[in-house]
Formats: sequence, C-alpha cells, structure tokens
Amino acid sequence: MLNRFCKPVCQGVALAVALCAGVASADVRISDGWLRAVPPVSPTMAGYLTVTNEGDTSVNITGARSEIAGHAMLHSMKTLDDGTRKMGHLHHVMLAPGESFSFLPGGDHLMLMKLQRVPQPGESVTVCLTQAEGEAICAGLPVLREAPSDS
Amino acid sequence: MRKLLYVLPLLAALVLAGCGKQESDLPVNTRLGGDFTLTDQNGEPFSAEKLKGQVSILFFGYTHCPDICPAVLAQVAQVYRHLEEEGVADQVQPVFITFDPERDTAAHLKEYLPWFKADMIGLTGSLEQIRAVAEQYGVVFIKDQEAGEQGYLFTHSDYIYLLDEQARVRKLYPADFKIDEVVTDVESLL
Repeated sequence: MLNRFCKPVCQGVALAVALCAGVASADVRISDGWLRAVPPVSPTMAGYLTVTNEGDTSVNITGARSEIAGHAMLHSMKTLDDGTRKMGHLHHVMLAPGESFSFLPGGDHLMLMKLQRVPQPGESVTVCLTQAEGEAICAGLPVLREAPSDS
Repeated sequence: MRKLLYVLPLLAALVLAGCGKQESDLPVNTRLGGDFTLTDQNGEPFSAEKLKGQVSILFFGYTHCPDICPAVLAQVAQVYRHLEEEGVADQVQPVFITFDPERDTAAHLKEYLPWFKADMIGLTGSLEQIRAVAEQYGVVFIKDQEAGEQGYLFTHSDYIYLLDEQARVRKLYPADFKIDEVVTDVESLL
C-alpha cells in the first residue's frame, strides 16, 4: 500500500527535481532528463534528455559519462528500409547557438554500460555530456520505471 | 399477429447476444504464428500448445538491449497492471522470446523478468529453434558484427503480437504501442 502510494510520489518528486535543476553549464542546458529503470541484473541502461545550446557559439557534444557506468556513449537509432531498427555509435552532436537536440526512447539515446551498480526507481544519477572543447555538462537524472509521458 | 413475426426474431437475437460471448472483430492473422517448442525460464520445455486457453501478449527481444526492449517490457508490464486492476490478468500471459540465447539463458531470464512484476514467461532455446519461431512470426534479427564496449547488439524488428485463446495472432503493435489500445483489444478477446 505504502509502495503503491510512494511510487508515483517519489517518481514525481525525482522528476520535478531533475526538470527544475536542469542547468549545469554556463551556456548549455540539460532538461527533461531521465534514466529508464532496469532489473538489477542488467548490464546496461538507457538515458534520455534534451540538451540546448543557449550560448552564442556552437557546441560539439562528443560523448557521455556517469558515476555509475564504467563506460557510456551516445547511441543513434535508425529504422532501416525493411523496418528493422539498428543502433550505432553517435560520434557527436553539433549544436549551433539556440539549437536543441533530444535523446528520446526509441530514438537516439545515451547508453550506460559496465554498470557498477544498477540504480533503482526513485534514485537520481549524475550523467554528464562531454564536449570536444570545454567542460562537461552534468545533471542529476531521475531513475523512472515508466516514461514520464506514460506514467 | 404480423407484428409478432417481426418482433420475435429480434427478441431472439437480443437474448442470444446477451447469453453468448461477443466475438472480437479483430481479424485472425493466418500468415503468422504456429507451433513451436522452446525452453522456459525454469529450464522446462514450453510448446505453443501451452499458450492455448488464455490470451497472450508475445514479443521478441534480448536483455542486453538498452533501449527498445526494456521499454517494451515496461509497457507490457503496464498493460498487465491495468488488466490486474480489471481483475482479468489471470487470463492473460505475457511471453518474452529472446533471440540472444548465448547470453539469455533460462537462468538469466529467471533473474531478469520477475522485476517487471507481470508474471512473464521467458523463452530461450537453441539459435536454430529461435530462428524458426522468429520466422513464423516474421521477426528479423541480425547480430551486429561489430562488438563494442557494450558487447554485441542486434538489428531487429520490434513488433508485439496479440494472440487469442487458440494461440492465433489477432493483432500486431509497434514498439511504442498505446497501453489503452492493447488493454481494450485484450479485453475484447476474453
């Protein structure tokens, strides 16, 4: 009963914290971020967010890292002509001033690998986007069992 | 008397409709599905025959898949929870078939699936067995040649299949299916 009440509340609070506390670098903002909760035996998990360049020079996002993952990367997702879906390494995302890019379920996403531990729903995990030049852009992302739009 | 001739058949039809089960208008897909035998998460043989007598939500994937497969598993679990609230979940069986038997052993599926709290059956087998089932359902999966830090991945199709109580395919959904749509369709088959 407590769990039933706590789950949506905890997820909501975690989500609100992440959505409100998005800004993590001077001119680059992370928003709408979350990680999809997975079973404790999972070796990988995916993350989603929107990154916006609010500065006046271009930004080149070249990778990702996280405190809980031995390795993280940007992943592309393509739908091929036969309808199958293929993942691959997304080497960089170039953002002109004012541009945004969204990593979304079923699309391009962040992939956290070699997990040192698997965070569970309700936790917040720091995830950083690395740039070709300049500091990494970090934000605390809530771990959610369901996509924010589905819950 | 003449009026009775018109009214009686109408009454009879109404009574029959009330007594009998309403047939779902989801068409039977005769090109997909069929018999198969795989191994469940307890290491026991599992044949398609066991799907009969309940409605099944069947889908393919692999547990090392970071994005689409966990999303589909989570969504199927959501469908299951809705059906639990409606009191009909015991008539519905979610079934996950891996196409990565090398890593998704029965033991691994047994550890992985209960977390979703949807009473899922996980099926694995030899690559030949799985390839045969995948062909029956029109599923394509190709192991990527390039294995990165994450190990190998698959390029794959990602449909979800709704099976009726005779294990016949009645509808396909894309991976980003609408929860309410599946719940409604499942209930139409019960």
